[in-house]
Amino acid sequence: MTLTGRFVIRALSAAFAANVVLAACATPPADDPEARAELAAINDPWEPFNRAVFEFNRAVDQVLFEPVAQAYRGVVPDFGREMVKNFLNNLRSPVILANDVLQGEKDRAGDTGSRLMANTIFGLGGLFDITEIEFHNEDFGQTLAVWGVDEGPYLVLPLLGPSPIRDTVGLVGDTLMDPVFWYAHNTEHYAIPWVRFGMRANDTRSRNIETLDEIERGAIDFYATVRSLYRQRRNDEILNGKPPQSVPMAEISWDEDEEAETNQASAVVK
Amino acid sequence: MSARRLSSLASALVLFMLLCLLPASAETLGPRQFIESLGEETIGAITRENISEEARFGEFERLFRMAFDIDAISRFVLGRYWRRATKEQQREYQSLFADFIVHTYASRFRQYSGETLAVNGEREASGRDTIVSSQINTPEGPSVRVDWRVRTKRDDHKIVDVIVEGVSMAITQRHEFASVIRRGGEGIETLIAELRKKSKPTN
Repeated sequence: MTLTGRFVIRALSAAFAANVVLAACATPPADDPEARAELAAINDPWEPFNRAVFEFNRAVDQVLFEPVAQAYRGVVPDFGREMVKNFLNNLRSPVILANDVLQGEKDRAGDTGSRLMANTIFGLGGLFDITEIEFHNEDFGQTLAVWGVDEGPYLVLPLLGPSPIRDTVGLVGDTLMDPVFWYAHNTEHYAIPWVRFGMRANDTRSRNIETLDEIERGAIDFYATVRSLYRQRRNDEILNGKPPQSVPMAEISWDEDEEAETNQASAVVK
Repeated sequence: MSARRLSSLASALVLFMLLCLLPASAETLGPRQFIESLGEETIGAITRENISEEARFGEFERLFRMAFDIDAISRFVLGRYWRRATKEQQREYQSLFADFIVHTYASRFRQYSGETLAVNGEREASGRDTIVSSQINTPEGPSVRVDWRVRTKRDDHKIVDVIVEGVSMAITQRHEFASVIRRGGEGIETLIAELRKKSKPTN
């Protein structure tokens, strides 16, 4: 544990040093509005630091999370893993319900509430999903987005992964509205949140082994790919999967290239 | 029958199917039907039994080059750097990009295990583009929401983007390439070098 701790500190301090050095280089040339617009859209002012944490997370994943997830899938039968997933989903339901309500989503709050009641009472404390209602997730980061809060600069947290400022604030909010956290706190069972965090991480990881491998294999810049994937996925979650009303990402138009081409052609003619 | 004869038989079959498909898609089909028939054809092609890995890859590549507007996609993905590239760089980039996509995505089809495609609607995106929405249903596990951005030019349909659970493949690729170019410091040459590495058969 101390070894890991020292490694974290060294990686982080190196990243901060790199950040100071590279900060000058990261400033785009003032005469290139396109480059400036691009950097503003990426909104990743701490990129060197984030990349260092990202690499650290990858290393931890390689030696810990992925092997454990593989073993978990190899050893625990399907129905056992299904029960773990149901239990974790149910345990999180009060937080989801609170966020449904905070977002003014009455129907979805009703879904979450019914699931929570039925599965807790008749599903043996959530081990079984006896309802026909589809599970959906919510978190306070999404609630903030619905309220109109901007995403803020991109940030990668150690072990937790991508979490722009809005989502980091969201994590704190979710923790504070989580009855399990308060139960653990008040009864001084401080291990409970950690055990649950480990179980959730493992549950998620075990269902994404192939997908993540494929993405990594196809990527030239894995960090940039994950940054883009994370943001698009979040936007979709915030909209609850509904198609966006406006064009997603205003900086990108499917027609601009052909327009540019036409301009170029006319310039050549002149 | 030897594997070689089988694979040539398979390619002949695909060629025949493509010939059957092309005139039909050029005339009567809308974007929705285009995606539906393409889905059936793709699943048919990759689930054919006793087919070698090589032939499967070949079929995927042919379907991909037929159904996707690679020219438009590769340009969109390069974004503002397209205009800064020389004609020669543009040409080299486009051919490498097509290989890169084929290699990346063909391997994903290896894990096929009984998925089916159900088209469930279409909506206009902009001018000549239509979004065809669908669900890919897996025998086990949750279904996946997939939107196809189809561009229609002179009654001919081609896919320009695939959006999986809200994640656009084209936008993701565009963000990645922009990052590669920005960090490389040598403009599009950095990207071309990386693509060359990625499309080598050893990968």
